[in-house]
Amino acid sequence: MWLVVLRRLGMGVVTLWVVSVLVFAGTEILPGDVAEAILGQSATPEAVAAIREQLNLDRPAVVRYMDWLTNLLRGDLGISLAANLPISEMISGRLKNTLILAALTAALAVPLSLAMGLAAAMFPGGRIDRFVTVSTLFLLSVPEFFIAATLVLIFAVHLQWLPAITYATEYDSVWQLAKSLALPILTLTTSVIAHMARMTRAAILNVMTSPYVEMAILKGVPRRRIVLRHALLNAVGPVVNVVALNLAYLIGGVTIVETVFAYPGLARLMVDAVSRRDMPLVQACAMIFCSAYILLILIADLLAIFANPRLRHSKQ
Amino acid sequence: MSEKKKIARELERSSDIASLKVLYRSASISRRAFVSRLAALGISTSIAGFIVAGSPVAVAATPKRGGRMRAAAGAHGPDDTLDPARFNSVINYGRGEQFYNGLTRIDESLVAQPDLAESWETNANATDWVFKLRKGVEFHNGKSLDAEDALYSIERHLDKNVGSGAKAFVENIAEGIVEDKHTVRFKLKGPDADFPVIMGTYQMKIVPVRTRDFSKAPGTGPFKLMEFKPGVRSLAHRNDNYWEEGRPYLDEIEWFGISDHNARMNALLAGDISMMSGLDPKAIPRVNKSNDVRVVNTKAGQYTNFAMMTDRPPTDSNELRLAIKHLQNRERILKLIYKGNGMLGNDQPISPVDPMYCADMPVRAYDPDKAKHHLKKAGMEGGTIKVHTSEVAGTGAIEQALMLQREADKIGLKIDVQRDPGDGYWSATWGKTPFFMSGWNMRPTANIMLTLAFTSDAAWNEAKWKNARFDELLTLGRASTDTVQRKQIYCEAQQLISDTGGVAIPCFIDYLDAMSEKVKGFIPVPLGPLGASQWPRSVWLEG
Repeated sequence: MWLVVLRRLGMGVVTLWVVSVLVFAGTEILPGDVAEAILGQSATPEAVAAIREQLNLDRPAVVRYMDWLTNLLRGDLGISLAANLPISEMISGRLKNTLILAALTAALAVPLSLAMGLAAAMFPGGRIDRFVTVSTLFLLSVPEFFIAATLVLIFAVHLQWLPAITYATEYDSVWQLAKSLALPILTLTTSVIAHMARMTRAAILNVMTSPYVEMAILKGVPRRRIVLRHALLNAVGPVVNVVALNLAYLIGGVTIVETVFAYPGLARLMVDAVSRRDMPLVQACAMIFCSAYILLILIADLLAIFANPRLRHSKQ
Repeated sequence: MSEKKKIARELERSSDIASLKVLYRSASISRRAFVSRLAALGISTSIAGFIVAGSPVAVAATPKRGGRMRAAAGAHGPDDTLDPARFNSVINYGRGEQFYNGLTRIDESLVAQPDLAESWETNANATDWVFKLRKGVEFHNGKSLDAEDALYSIERHLDKNVGSGAKAFVENIAEGIVEDKHTVRFKLKGPDADFPVIMGTYQMKIVPVRTRDFSKAPGTGPFKLMEFKPGVRSLAHRNDNYWEEGRPYLDEIEWFGISDHNARMNALLAGDISMMSGLDPKAIPRVNKSNDVRVVNTKAGQYTNFAMMTDRPPTDSNELRLAIKHLQNRERILKLIYKGNGMLGNDQPISPVDPMYCADMPVRAYDPDKAKHHLKKAGMEGGTIKVHTSEVAGTGAIEQALMLQREADKIGLKIDVQRDPGDGYWSATWGKTPFFMSGWNMRPTANIMLTLAFTSDAAWNEAKWKNARFDELLTLGRASTDTVQRKQIYCEAQQLISDTGGVAIPCFIDYLDAMSEKVKGFIPVPLGPLGASQWPRSVWLEG
């Protein structure tokens, strides 16, 4: 058992390393560099050269990469080239914001989508099933920014119940936190709920076609008991994977919501860092996202293994 | 509703009258001035009466103290800075004006006003400038302002380790001397009658001598820094020790950026912010519909232009450049792309708000026949040419390129519009491809703009246009202190650019900002968005 975990963690570290090389190469290929980005339109050749020298950008790419890697292994994330501040300081606030938003969204979206998927699978073809299928299809096809803009238009501009941007970084009370984050959470929930609900429904319906379930039906076991007691655990594998993927997305991919609501999170930080070619910051963000994915998928796989006794005691 | 009232309501929708109403309502112009300007627009006095009646004026223009202002600029990011030498965008200029002062301040007529320097004088040929500093001014950390601080703050832009974007402004300084505790003298290499105006630009802020760490924003400005997170926000409290009597009025300022322009507008409409810069012209009707917010339109010299490099084919032919210039349907561009918020341009960078604008030069008319004639002379009839554009090139850059494509099609010239990604546009496309689009903010003086971007050896001469007579004219212009003579000199310079230069400038674009009706005391300075960011010292919140 533990061997599985260790192997997966080992592969995760290798993946992280490969990602760091790819991100570095990718950012290097882009035209322009941080000196030009900082100076913007005031970039005269000598000002650019001066800043490059200051930031040690005139050394070859491989040297700079190795420097960054050795610092990382020592636990030093480095200094942001554009802001001249330690990266750990810049990221900690943003990471906290991202995690809060992700956690609250997950707390709402995961139970809701599981419930929806279960309800739909209970009576396939029935009213609830049709409602779930159509609404999730609708949510999947409507772009996130459209949903965000509509919600802002209705709740912030017209009704003025909720703020249009989530600016407060300190919250005086839980109620204020809820009001500030209500719209972003709603928007993100609509994005992730569709996948999870549909996958839950599909996985359970798939299990329902297996012979032992047929046996249970023939025995006269009520449908609800079959779904909840006999089928659910076997459907855990794919469901947990989809949940993990969506959680990882909530940590690293919510650029649109962060832009529309001006929420100071990690996704936007990375996009801004890329457009400023701020290499250490880009790498730091990439490492965080990558680690989040790896850990979440690992947990998902472990849960799938636990849920299925056959996999637990496999020869591995 | 009576006929006249109906007409009045119709007229109010035009942007000229809307902007006049704004000025009147915010008590920037008197009722008499308002009515006479309406008459100048050709509106009869009786209808003007209805327009006036529909515009309740701010009853008292006495400032109210107190309140927290939440305001937003557009782009912001992890490179937001408190070091004046690195200021290069509205998000930074806003902080500059909250925490710092300069020796001078540029007012709404583009004239230098005393700020930290109470007076200045120069010799006959403008090569020797002496500034007398105000006494009793203290920095936020308690240190008294003296001439050493002024000298250090200006000279640091010359230090290449500082990497200042404003180095070009101060390269003309040969020597700076501290004459006594409150007097500083600058000896210039070459004459510059506009030197006091340069001392009022965004980057020329005064900091204590030997300052290298700007994280506490050590300035003399109307507000003190409480909190700063780059790419997130800054929080400022009123400086009770501020040297300007009675100012500032606000208690606190929360200043940040909202990059998405829809989100920014929504935040204003929802009341989350009181003031924003960079309103999209398409959003004006939406903002006008609300009674709680207003659009503020400042006539300015910013522009989005076509740049045709004169040192490489095919744009090295002046005939082709003239053809492109004649294809510019300026009125249409102004009306359709900028919704009337601007002024017609004449293929040269000095706008009507600049005192040196050459009003005698007729605006080049849209003339497809002349364009075709020039095209034939260039030998490019039926030819193809590619223009690079991007949304970061300037407001309306993509739309202008598409419009040119349509016009060129009519005379048999095929224009390929290539939309480049914004990322890296300035390093890969600008100044590297023969035909591209670009955008410029106006500079405080004609001399600065022309020297920065049009002299033969200027680093930012995007069309690589070289003209010896032009360089000569600029040198003469700098040395002269006679306004009439300077106007003549700059007029000839503008003509040269318009006739032979590498830029096609169809129009100048107003700065469009929006703010809550509660914001009073806003002064529209044409140098930049949000009144060149000078709002912190003059604005107050009503109600």
